[in-house]
Amino acid sequence: MSLAGRIFKAGPLPDAAGTRRRDTWLTLAACALGGGLLWLAENQAGGYVVHMLTLSGLFVVLAVSYNLINGFTGQFSLEPNAFVACGAYVTALLTISPLEKEASFILEPLIWPLSVIHLPLLPALLIAGLCTALMAFVMGFPVFRVRGDYLAIVTLGFGEVVRVVANNAQSVTNGPLGLKGIAHLTNLWWAWGLAGATLFVVVRLVHSSYGRALKAIREDETAAEAMGINAFWHKMLAFTLSAFFEGMAGGLLAHLITTISPSLFTFFMTFNLLIIIVVGGLGSTTGAVLGAILFTFGGEWLRVVEEPATLFGLDIPGIPGMRMVVFSLILVGVMLFARQGILGRNEFSWRWLLARLGMGRGRA
Amino acid sequence: MDLLQQFINGLTLGSLYAMIAIGYTMVYGILRLINFAHGDVMMVGCYAAWFGAAQFGLPWWVSLPVAMALTALLGVAIDQGAYRPLRRAPRISALITAIGVSFFLENLGLVIFGGRPKAFARPEIFNQIYQWGELRVLSLSVWTPVITALILAGLLLVIYRTRVGMAMRAVSRDISTVELMGVDSNRIVALTFALGSALAAAGGVFWAMKYPQLNPLLGVLPGLKAFVAAVLGGIGNVAGAMLGGLILGLAEIMLVALMPDLAGYRDALAFVLLIGILLFRPTGIMGEKLPE
Amino acid sequence: MSGALLEIEGLSCRFGGLLALDSLDLAVEPGALAGLIGPNGAGKTTCFNLITGRVRPSGGNVRFQGRPLAGLRPSRVNRLGVARTFQNIRLFDDLTVLENVLVGFHGRLKANFLSAILRLPAYAREDRRMHDRGLELLDLVGLGRLGQERASNLAYGQQRLLEIARALATGPRLLLLDEPAAGMNPNETAALARLVRRLRDDMGISVLLIEHDMHFVMNLCESLTVLDHGRVIARGAPREVQSDPAVIEAYLGAGLETAPLEGGHA
Repeated sequence: MSLAGRIFKAGPLPDAAGTRRRDTWLTLAACALGGGLLWLAENQAGGYVVHMLTLSGLFVVLAVSYNLINGFTGQFSLEPNAFVACGAYVTALLTISPLEKEASFILEPLIWPLSVIHLPLLPALLIAGLCTALMAFVMGFPVFRVRGDYLAIVTLGFGEVVRVVANNAQSVTNGPLGLKGIAHLTNLWWAWGLAGATLFVVVRLVHSSYGRALKAIREDETAAEAMGINAFWHKMLAFTLSAFFEGMAGGLLAHLITTISPSLFTFFMTFNLLIIIVVGGLGSTTGAVLGAILFTFGGEWLRVVEEPATLFGLDIPGIPGMRMVVFSLILVGVMLFARQGILGRNEFSWRWLLARLGMGRGRA
Repeated sequence: MDLLQQFINGLTLGSLYAMIAIGYTMVYGILRLINFAHGDVMMVGCYAAWFGAAQFGLPWWVSLPVAMALTALLGVAIDQGAYRPLRRAPRISALITAIGVSFFLENLGLVIFGGRPKAFARPEIFNQIYQWGELRVLSLSVWTPVITALILAGLLLVIYRTRVGMAMRAVSRDISTVELMGVDSNRIVALTFALGSALAAAGGVFWAMKYPQLNPLLGVLPGLKAFVAAVLGGIGNVAGAMLGGLILGLAEIMLVALMPDLAGYRDALAFVLLIGILLFRPTGIMGEKLPE
Repeated sequence: MSGALLEIEGLSCRFGGLLALDSLDLAVEPGALAGLIGPNGAGKTTCFNLITGRVRPSGGNVRFQGRPLAGLRPSRVNRLGVARTFQNIRLFDDLTVLENVLVGFHGRLKANFLSAILRLPAYAREDRRMHDRGLELLDLVGLGRLGQERASNLAYGQQRLLEIARALATGPRLLLLDEPAAGMNPNETAALARLVRRLRDDMGISVLLIEHDMHFVMNLCESLTVLDHGRVIARGAPREVQSDPAVIEAYLGAGLETAPLEGGHA
């Protein structure tokens, strides 16, 4: 059951407002605690751990927004790689210095006015988010004329088209060479700041009347339409909103890895996000967060299978590429044996946690 | 003259798309499942043929049928292992599983064969140049459409002239009624996977001869494009898949021939076509059913 | 005729070779309690689907309060004031009973999504009002205690009532009920009849309903239209229709469960 369901399950208690206030304070306290941990990590942990933590923040943004359209609205789509690419390219083109751009665009010069623009990260990110949202908006018109597996294949096609364009539109994207010399600006605070903003917006949206409408479309589109909900515009809302955040995450990704090229944004990226939200539980924001963190660190942990090792006195040669085989098996295995993923459609709630700790008065 | 040459090239490419598209369309017709792994099944077929020819020195007319048979087995195994348990699950679950199987095959291929391309030697018969006046054509380009046509004619015979074919058509119309009439639908589904996968292997081997290099990701793009071809022709319709494949192959070659500036966008053409079809005629050229 | 709430003229619908509805004329006056009956496959549900924009007609027009409905999306038709229930219940299974009703209010929500995300006072006020009204509607249909239950956990008859509450939440002037009594026991059916009458008498909602339970129809409806094979074969007050030879012929000829005369439920 959704979090909204859990809240209602308790009924409109006389102290509903009090409960809400308590939850707000608890959430703020958790944010402060999280911030403190990030600060600690930044100062005490090694560069590698910090990098992984930053990356997991970006995956949280991507998974939570991807889940909004796939899990909550029930529109199974496969385009996040296109949105991430769009955001990454736009941000990078806006922040790289004109001199650097002139040096990288060897085959064909970068078109004006991109060639002279030089913006700080924050405005560049916002513009990238808006551009990506605009792209989603335009895409939505043909895309949401179809449903089900056709929707999946059309959105996948869009991802391919974006990659082909990135490869060929030399004077904007520098073609297969990609963009180099992107400043390393993304740190823990940027990544988790965006993650926090995404969570705030998505959780609030899902718990609002709009979120109920999205779930209604997922449950039965015909009935939702008959109840006065324009399914097309609501899908568009979820789609553009998720594109907005995915675009910004793309921008931060570019400023984390400092070099981007079309080969980075293949369907492979979408596949990873799909694993994250399926394993976490389609339609659970908590699941998406959990899945993203598990994926980032689990992926590292799985490096074991790619490195030579000695087990019970046997020398086992490392098998490069084995991680992805394992990931694919996990996806298939989850679908076959645990279709709900870790959380199904359940969400974390303070009421649940307090009850667990034996402190709450309410039922879990 | 040049145009005729391009036309033959388009026909060759189109026949390959057609052969792969049939597997998609047959499976979709019966299970309403986009078998995402179909392109990768084709890749496995290519490697099987390569093993037969390069490792065991089999002549092509032996290694091709052997590869087709092995690939048919693989197709059936995938269905039984990964898709069959999900027959009654929401359709999206099966699709996600198919995506997983696809990645599994690709990455297992990378682990086993490595990312470095392997050379695929063209048999002598396909490596000659036929010359008619000014027209110079690689024998492979002539033989591919011919062999494709033969295989497809055989397939149509099976579908329209045999009891098994009749059962397949019946299952694709209404699986539950057919089961009530005592037909073992599971056997029919398995047969569909076997046939579709064998055709993919045949298509793949000719693909590998045309672009004589093997790598574990070679099935991805032809697979996706063949799916578009199947939708173009009207998904679920075998003849439509052939037509869609030919149209897509010709369109790609003609784009490159007539507008060389846009040659780089060739791989995007299929998807632009797909969006166009779904906007204006979602049932495809020969289809009847609406995508729902 | 010009004062009718819903006017249907020459409405036809063809599926392939089958003429599901053949040039239907029908008017629903404001404050009507009208019934649409006929053997299975007569085109009754098709008629609802055509009115609500779910299926495109092959010909004819539908006007609601003088406004043509042709080519409008179902959501638009609903917001003009026509709500419906479904013959094969279509609730939002994974949502709670109360949430199902709240979804019905969403189409008329004034606050935009930004104000919903930021919980601006305008949205918060509307949200509170939706909750209060939602609980009232559940009380009205007799599901007041079940608001927090999952919709799919309700009993069959309760699910039908929830569909009505959800439709009422959209604020209709005309309510189309598709076999509301199907699967209900006699007690539930009697309560349903009282509810439908209250909707008309107290809330001023006009009702057009499809039903096989002749006892229910004869007692509740003030006018009937009988369809068979997509055509109107009789119309008028229940008493007149009941004794119409064409109607008896249609029901008996179709070999259907019960003739309307016997008044049992089908």
